[in-house]
Amino acid sequence: MAWDLALWILSFLAVAAALGIIVYQLLCLSDLEFDFINPFDSSSRINRFVLPEFAIQGVLSAIYLIFGYWLMFLLNAPLLYYNIRLYMSKRHLVDVTEIFNQLEPEKKIRFYKLGFYLSLLCIVIYRLVVSSMEVILESGIASMAEI
Amino acid sequence: MSRSSDVGARSPPLPFNPYQQQQQRYPPMAPPAADFPPPQFFARPPLSNPPLDPTPPPPPPQQLYSRPPSSMLSTPPPPIPSKAPPFASPPPFAAPHQFQGLQGPPPSHPPPPPPQAPYFGGSPAYQQQQQQPLPPPSQGYFAGIAPPLPGVAAPPGHDIADEFESLSISSAPGTAADVKVEALPRPPPDSCDTFAQPAWSNCHPRYFELTTNAIPASHSLAARWHLPLGAVIHPLAEAPPEEQVPVVDFGTSGIVRCRRCRTYINPYDKFTDGGKYFRCAICNLLNDVPMDYVCALDEQGKRRDAMDRPELSQGSVDFVAPMEYMVRPPMPPVYFFLIDVSVAAVRSGILQIAADTIKSCLDKLPGYPRTQIGFLTFDSTLHFYSLKSSLTQPQMVVLAQVDDPFLPMPDDLLVNLSESRLVVEALLDSLPSIFANNENVESALGPALEATTSIMSEIGGKLLIFQSTLPSLGVGRLKLRGQEAHVYQTDREPALRVAEDSFYKQMAAKCSKLQIGVNVYAFSEKYTDVASLGTLAKYTGGQVCYYPGFHAAVDGEKLTYDLSRDLTRETAWEAVMRIRCGKGIKYSVFHGHFMLRSSDLLALPAVDCDKAFSVQFALEDTLLTSQLAYFQVALLYTSSSGERRIRVHTAAVPIVQELSVMYKEANIGAVVGVLSRLAVEKSLNDKLENARQYVHVKMVNALREYKNMYAVKHSLIGRIIFPESLKLLPLYVLALSKSLPLRGGFMDATPDERSAAGYQMMTMSRPSLLKLLYPALIRLDEYLLQVMSCVDWIAKNETIVYAQGSRGGGVDSPPQLPLTAEVLDPRGAFVTSDGQRFVLWLGNVLQPEFVAAILGPQVAHSSDLRKVPVVEQDNDLSKRFHALLAKLRKQNRWCHQQCVVVRQGESGRELQLVHSNMVEDRGAGFPSYMEWMVQIHRQVQQKI
Repeated sequence: MAWDLALWILSFLAVAAALGIIVYQLLCLSDLEFDFINPFDSSSRINRFVLPEFAIQGVLSAIYLIFGYWLMFLLNAPLLYYNIRLYMSKRHLVDVTEIFNQLEPEKKIRFYKLGFYLSLLCIVIYRLVVSSMEVILESGIASMAEI
Repeated sequence: MSRSSDVGARSPPLPFNPYQQQQQRYPPMAPPAADFPPPQFFARPPLSNPPLDPTPPPPPPQQLYSRPPSSMLSTPPPPIPSKAPPFASPPPFAAPHQFQGLQGPPPSHPPPPPPQAPYFGGSPAYQQQQQQPLPPPSQGYFAGIAPPLPGVAAPPGHDIADEFESLSISSAPGTAADVKVEALPRPPPDSCDTFAQPAWSNCHPRYFELTTNAIPASHSLAARWHLPLGAVIHPLAEAPPEEQVPVVDFGTSGIVRCRRCRTYINPYDKFTDGGKYFRCAICNLLNDVPMDYVCALDEQGKRRDAMDRPELSQGSVDFVAPMEYMVRPPMPPVYFFLIDVSVAAVRSGILQIAADTIKSCLDKLPGYPRTQIGFLTFDSTLHFYSLKSSLTQPQMVVLAQVDDPFLPMPDDLLVNLSESRLVVEALLDSLPSIFANNENVESALGPALEATTSIMSEIGGKLLIFQSTLPSLGVGRLKLRGQEAHVYQTDREPALRVAEDSFYKQMAAKCSKLQIGVNVYAFSEKYTDVASLGTLAKYTGGQVCYYPGFHAAVDGEKLTYDLSRDLTRETAWEAVMRIRCGKGIKYSVFHGHFMLRSSDLLALPAVDCDKAFSVQFALEDTLLTSQLAYFQVALLYTSSSGERRIRVHTAAVPIVQELSVMYKEANIGAVVGVLSRLAVEKSLNDKLENARQYVHVKMVNALREYKNMYAVKHSLIGRIIFPESLKLLPLYVLALSKSLPLRGGFMDATPDERSAAGYQMMTMSRPSLLKLLYPALIRLDEYLLQVMSCVDWIAKNETIVYAQGSRGGGVDSPPQLPLTAEVLDPRGAFVTSDGQRFVLWLGNVLQPEFVAAILGPQVAHSSDLRKVPVVEQDNDLSKRFHALLAKLRKQNRWCHQQCVVVRQGESGRELQLVHSNMVEDRGAGFPSYMEWMVQIHRQVQQKI
């Protein structure tokens, strides 16, 4: 079951990274709102991390699909679909010229993502703990068997 | 002044106070709030103490009243007004009731009171009323503003006939027999150019015009207004010479501003404590007055030097900005020309005309001797021109590699015009001949733009793009689109009206950052994707000029005029604009050509006197407790002379509790200005039909609300009623729905025409917009013959005065006809003027001699009128005709009105040029004016 543990560790890191990206983007947006940075900087900072976030989420979903974690995949599927749609219609990047008009919707969608990643993180931590317990118990049993 | 002794700090102010008049006419409903602002500053009417007033005093009311309306908008060249007879024109505020057929009050009502004086002071009628006993109070307007006045009784049953117009329209469709079409409201001639007089110390409405001069006190009231609550802002509007904005220099001490909200000092700031402090009108903070700005107060609590200081007595001021308003030394005016020299541009003669025009304007470019200039031409390659002053001939460098453009010689591409004048002239002379035989059809606009922005990156400036074909090479190449009819009415439709390639948006953002303002001139007959190209102008404060199927002989004059106006008009460089609103009010959305730098700061790399914006306001608090709402527009810019300046417009508007007052004080010009921008913006992300519907619903809701307020009470159930101030709203909404950006669907306009007109509408000032929506229609043959009959009189006066008109002698405009094809008499010739062009329509059985006299003998029988230039012939008739055109053009200086000729029955063109302008006829899926009114009436009657 070691690969299982490795997978959960990997998902934990990935979700944490995605969470970090979302928080960073939210910070950029609220900085913009309170006039701490200009729209050019704000949008370039946000846009730099849009694709990494999409990639992380995509890879994670793919891994869940390949390794047969159907429930986790189903959980990720709506966001995956949303991201792909956004990317295909080329609306994934923040538009610097209209950023002030998009501020509210962009913030809203990132808050939803934040909530999603947080709950995902909880699940991943739970599964991580469970699988690491299993690994420990297994190795414990194995070592006991040796005695 | 005799009563000044009893004027205390809190008592009603001087007799010459417009505000006082309101107070007495509209008795209060609530006691004044505790923080009621001392009314002293109202007691500062510009009329009251002329001896103390060495600043350019406001012209006496008589003069204001009789100025020809046209001069309110555009500054005529000095010689003309001096010749024109001062009383030749009707008063700008003709009485409210101007329409035949609509005047009579409903039969069940007593006769209306005499027409009300203009609401705010300054007119003779107003002064008269001051002397007379006050009229009986009407309804409780401005409740809560006024202190209680003894002896004013509660309003008795007051006649409301003066508050709205009503039309009796039977609600069954098509049976509107009892209303004549002629009785429907139409804009009176010259109404587009006429502004109301500014109230109190407000800025002139040509700069800042609210959709209603009464701000609602609460959210619930604002929600019942239904129309946009906003304003049209035209910060650099051209003013007649006697009304120029005064310049104020505070020297090194700095401009006096509020410490907290940074509002500039204005006439509404109240000085207290012997002049040591002032209370900011916007945020109510008590500020210290700088030591050298302190001045004693008089007994009414206003500063003794208020009349000497424009910033304390006038609503519009230009402050000279000291060093702290600069992030770099003021930039010189920079003009950079990016010219497409592919085969289309050369063949149609654009290159020749552009080069000639630029050359002729070199002397008139603002900012001599600091002005800088540069050129770059492109087809499939980029051509750079070194204009070093030591050269005799310009040096041309061709860059064939467009994928990753670089600057072959970074220094001499942008040069000082006065130093390199000869080289620039040599270039402009040789430019047409260099490319005379160019057969290249490609156009690498994207790479050329990238190269240009790196040339201009240090200073910024104005970039003029001349584009004759669809960009086809390098980054930013565009595809043919919008050719399929089936895209319309689907979700993919709005995408046709926004930039296809994100390159253009990014480039626009980059230009805005580098202080580059882009003006786009597009020429092609074929699809050029104006929607994408115009994006560059949209975010940089620029403009889009579109000349479909440019033909040098016909359109050359227009291009020459437009381009030279673009180059020579007063331009504000590296500007930013901000709007500050009084407590409880917040800007919500801006519309126009700009980019938002922060949530309320509009970045305008180059803005000029032809650009207007609109803004919408929202209420922040649930209840506004103050009596007046204040607005301040501040534009920080570098003038062409290299001075950093701040143009500040301040306005105060009463806050009201009554919906009826809001409707009464509505301003149709501003309402249409905001609504049309809203509709165009809506069409960028929604279907055309929804954009039209959006405006329609707003209008119907507003009229229904108004009906509910009055109809039941006054048993007007079967009638359509609308406020006097908004009687033209249905007509303008109909015209807007039929206007080029919003009209019909696939068949009715090409995507390029739509986009160009949409971009134009976003920047239009109120007068030009109203003119575009409801063009003037003039019967030419009768008019010219009438004018000819008073030729002697004209000769005597040595000036051209149009003595005959609809309203007797002294009218300088020919009578205007309703815009319907029914008036087009085949025996006549008609001219429509929409502010963009003249269309001369020739009837089928019009006398050939008349045509020959006006257009020249060879034209009279020619069948193809498409490329007929309208030039002056050597006869009186033609001279009068051109004098008329010149006069109409003068009212409208922002663009050249080209005259095109159409004969009756000419297939296609007649429909496109004439019938599309006939907004009162059926067309583009919209009904005629009469049917439209019936339809609106039915919708208004419906319960939601």
